[in-house]
Amino acid sequence: MDVSQYLEIFIDETEEHIQSLSDNIMALEQEPDNKDVVNEIFRAAHSLKGMAGTMGFKRMQHMTHDMENVFQEVRNDTIKVNSDMIDLLFQCLDAIEGYLENIKETSDEGTNDNEAIIRKLNGFLEHAEAEAAHASGEPETAAEAAPAESESAAESSDGKHFSEVELDESDKKKLQAALDSGHHVYGMTVYIRKDCLLKAARAFLVFKAVEEFAEIIVYSPSSQDIEDEKFENDFSIFFTTDAELDKVLAAAKAVSEIENAVADEITEEFLKEEKPEHAAESEPKAAAVEEPKAEVPAPVAKTASKPNVPQKKQAAKPVTSRTVRVDIEKLDALMNQVSELIIAKNSLVSLSASNVVGMQNQSYQEQIEYLERITTGLHESVMKVRMVPIESVVNKFPRMIRDLSRTLNKKMELVMSGEETELDRTVVDQIGDPLQHLLRNSADHGLESAEVRKERGKPEVGTIRLKAFQEGNNVIIEVGDDGNGIDTEAVKNKAIERGLVTPEQAENLSHKEIIDFLFMPSFSMAKKITDISGRGVGLDVVKSNIEALGGDVEVKSVFGEGSTFTVRLPLTLAIIQALMVIIGDEKYAIALGSIVSIEDIPITDIKYVEAKEVINMRGNVIPIIRLNQILDIEPQEEEQESLTIVIISRGDKQVGLVVDDLMGQQEIVIKSLGSFIDNSTKIISGATILGDGEVALILDVNTLM
Amino acid sequence: MAAYVQVNGDVTEEKKQFIAVKLSSEIYGIDIGYVDTIVRMQKITRVPKAQSYFKGVINLRGEIVPVMSIRLKMGFEDDVFTNSSRIIILKIEEKGKLGVIVDEVREVVNLGASEIDKPSHDAKENKHSYINGIGKNGDDLISLFDINAMTEENFK
Repeated sequence: MDVSQYLEIFIDETEEHIQSLSDNIMALEQEPDNKDVVNEIFRAAHSLKGMAGTMGFKRMQHMTHDMENVFQEVRNDTIKVNSDMIDLLFQCLDAIEGYLENIKETSDEGTNDNEAIIRKLNGFLEHAEAEAAHASGEPETAAEAAPAESESAAESSDGKHFSEVELDESDKKKLQAALDSGHHVYGMTVYIRKDCLLKAARAFLVFKAVEEFAEIIVYSPSSQDIEDEKFENDFSIFFTTDAELDKVLAAAKAVSEIENAVADEITEEFLKEEKPEHAAESEPKAAAVEEPKAEVPAPVAKTASKPNVPQKKQAAKPVTSRTVRVDIEKLDALMNQVSELIIAKNSLVSLSASNVVGMQNQSYQEQIEYLERITTGLHESVMKVRMVPIESVVNKFPRMIRDLSRTLNKKMELVMSGEETELDRTVVDQIGDPLQHLLRNSADHGLESAEVRKERGKPEVGTIRLKAFQEGNNVIIEVGDDGNGIDTEAVKNKAIERGLVTPEQAENLSHKEIIDFLFMPSFSMAKKITDISGRGVGLDVVKSNIEALGGDVEVKSVFGEGSTFTVRLPLTLAIIQALMVIIGDEKYAIALGSIVSIEDIPITDIKYVEAKEVINMRGNVIPIIRLNQILDIEPQEEEQESLTIVIISRGDKQVGLVVDDLMGQQEIVIKSLGSFIDNSTKIISGATILGDGEVALILDVNTLM
Repeated sequence: MAAYVQVNGDVTEEKKQFIAVKLSSEIYGIDIGYVDTIVRMQKITRVPKAQSYFKGVINLRGEIVPVMSIRLKMGFEDDVFTNSSRIIILKIEEKGKLGVIVDEVREVVNLGASEIDKPSHDAKENKHSYINGIGKNGDDLISLFDINAMTEENFK
């Protein structure tokens, strides 16, 4: 079977399963007795095994199979979960991930058998076997349990399960029609071996074999359920054939891993009989036939896991059919088209505003407004399509922190919130590394050792927080810890030592300026180089990565209490709502998301604090910045009586920007200035084209605070 | 140096095309391979804090293109825009488009290798580092721009 076309799906799904396994193993470590978690793990390992088997990745299949065995024993309470086991399971996950990496690169799982891990896994099993002599050491207890009850159900009818199958009206009609037309109709029940790994595939082969001679009319369970492996070790079919029944039976039995197949002819009486019987005493029968979930008390495993499986699958099914995978480049192209459309719309708007004769009629205006609504809606839809929750990036962090906790020998826990916060796909793809770095930083430099923490009266377990939320047009991701905080004295001394500042200069540096040293290339505060950090390739890379995404990062730190890194990222990359302002005779755009309010302040209300202009607005003292000075624009000749001030905020800071005039709100398309122009001050974040074709620059007001 | 000047026509040699432009009183040549398009002078939006020789950015059919003054970059006096001023849009590999202002676009000239001399280097005069050849077009001498050196920006 050529499976290469499924490779991508396999890779995606395997990644999901690995993530689910990782999450659940973490959960299991916290509550070793939670059966739901064990079942979830079992289910994920099982699916992995099935998928790997189908794709022909034998080593991966072997590994997951052994993992599954261990969980089998955990489910049966013959093994207790302990930390050795958790460690080993994580090693397994890493190994599986290794296979997956190989598969991604070469479409082959590689040759690493990971024997050591498998041996250890089996060690657990043997241990369990010794302890629980009655419980079979063989892995497939679940499978064994299954036939136990299928046999009991089958006793009455010589294993002819099909005779008990509850047929619905349409199926009956089909069978009746076949009988009416003079064909022989047979029922068959096929038993698959308990240790069969790919039941669905075997069932499929049986169907193919039977179809050589016969036409299958009815499947029980439905063909869809069989395909999804939603059946125990047997399934039934009804078919018509002109060949001898024995031939068909032999063909079905010839399929490997088929234990047995029984069949009999179906008569009209059978169909008729069935009806009243089922109507009358369907209760016990239905329970017996329709998947034995309710009736098997013996193996804990089964009752617990069974309800989970169909639910999950049913929930997943419609989702897959309603989504389409789209190449991100196609979306980019779509986005560009939308951008162009918005520019065209803007020029129509400005044309209509320019009072051209004949353009002022009512319906023309209405159409323009209509167009405006549509383009805005279209833009929002396209943006939403590109948005993905940051979950896909951050959900690997708990595992990372757990590992760090081991290697660093510090107790710590990661508290995450806002994983559902959405960001543009391109941003999400690139934010992983910087965040990972910040977390490592917190774990290694931030948190103190348990002894020190005790001395300082802090809880022994350090806390690292990752919090994501939306604020205006930005998404904020905070990475904080309750550790040591940044020792500004030490940083200052290091800066002096490295010749970055003279001791005299250092005296006058502000708290923030000192912390900024940490973002300098190859400025490491680590006393010794560890695997985790201290190589000096660090915060500067974090900073430049985040800035490349149009974001920024800042630090708040209190020595002895902890530090928080705040990463601010733009929600959208291409189109924003902006306020257009005029300064001198130049036009600038300010992102609406950072604007708090626009104020008209009499010149007499401007006060001075430390020779800097401030205004007192509703009790807040807000510094004001004259944009014409910042942007080297000639000031207006006569001083106005009042100033138009745009109040902007970033976090809890507010600043007022003095502008000469306002043009109004507009949707603008952000375009890059290119790489020729020196924009190292970063005051200008880009340019946009206005409706009249003129270029206006976009101010990045974050740089002004 | 001028030991051999071949008479055109006798030997077919590969010729390069240059756009001859006027800056101040001199004629310069721009390798046509770098030229994307030539546009009339239009409103240039100033970019604060940019290099002094960058006039700003223009809207070239929906694209933002930075515009540089060759005069200022070479240390001449500032441009005076007239009716014949043009912006030549250069396309530089990987770095994108860049406009340069010239006083006038004259013509397209074909120059063979034999018609191009090495520039007479004067290390003291900085502007010569942007010239990588002198073309002889009849009686006119054309200074050929080294576009890569001209568009090299080291502000990081």
